[in-house]
Amino acid sequence: MSTVRVLLFGAAADRAGVRQTELSPPAAGASLEEFWAVLAERYPGLAPMRDTLAFAVNGEYARLDATVSPGDEVAVLPPVSGG
Amino acid sequence: MISITEEPLDLGELAAGAFRPDCGAVATFVGTTRVDETGEAQVEYLEYEAYRPMADRKLEEIETGIRCQWEVGEVRIVHRLGRVYPGEPSVAIVIAAPRRGPAFEASRYAIERIKEIVPIWKREIWSDGYVWVGSQVATRPTP
Repeated sequence: MSTVRVLLFGAAADRAGVRQTELSPPAAGASLEEFWAVLAERYPGLAPMRDTLAFAVNGEYARLDATVSPGDEVAVLPPVSGG
Repeated sequence: MISITEEPLDLGELAAGAFRPDCGAVATFVGTTRVDETGEAQVEYLEYEAYRPMADRKLEEIETGIRCQWEVGEVRIVHRLGRVYPGEPSVAIVIAAPRRGPAFEASRYAIERIKEIVPIWKREIWSDGYVWVGSQVATRPTP
């Protein structure tokens, strides 16, 4: 598997217009920050949300310096509003 | 016991299921959907979605966090998904503990952590559009 599965939720799915997509990491060993740049270019509606978003890699919160590899699942998480 | 469900919450069953002879206190917190009205428009319902199974795992982490900090017997957390009408329960937390202090404190901790770390989102469906709660994304007419 050479792509990363991207899941979008809530307002992020709304802005992107998709709930799920596949993207190739920009380079081997790419960081989540570099991956985000590719995602925001593909879905420009996401870009203004940048500072409010959190990310998960393979189901766990991840920092922007985390590595994203083919086969991973990246989730784009707007501010949570459960309860 | 952790659960995320599309079904209405049965609060009586949830609380009664936590009664046990080694616990003298059962604290129950119920979060219900509160809605506002503006002018002519009203909220018709809320719609919840979750990133599963991460949301389930985060609720389990909250239970683990409770058991590390307080002496409790039973921890029950149930969160609704899908359509929830105004005034209906969207989350219920039941903590049974030998003594009341830990039961109260742990239930407060649980709801605060849910609002911080569990990937669940809600959208208010108004008569004239919708609003993602916590994000500046909406389709309602701006005043």
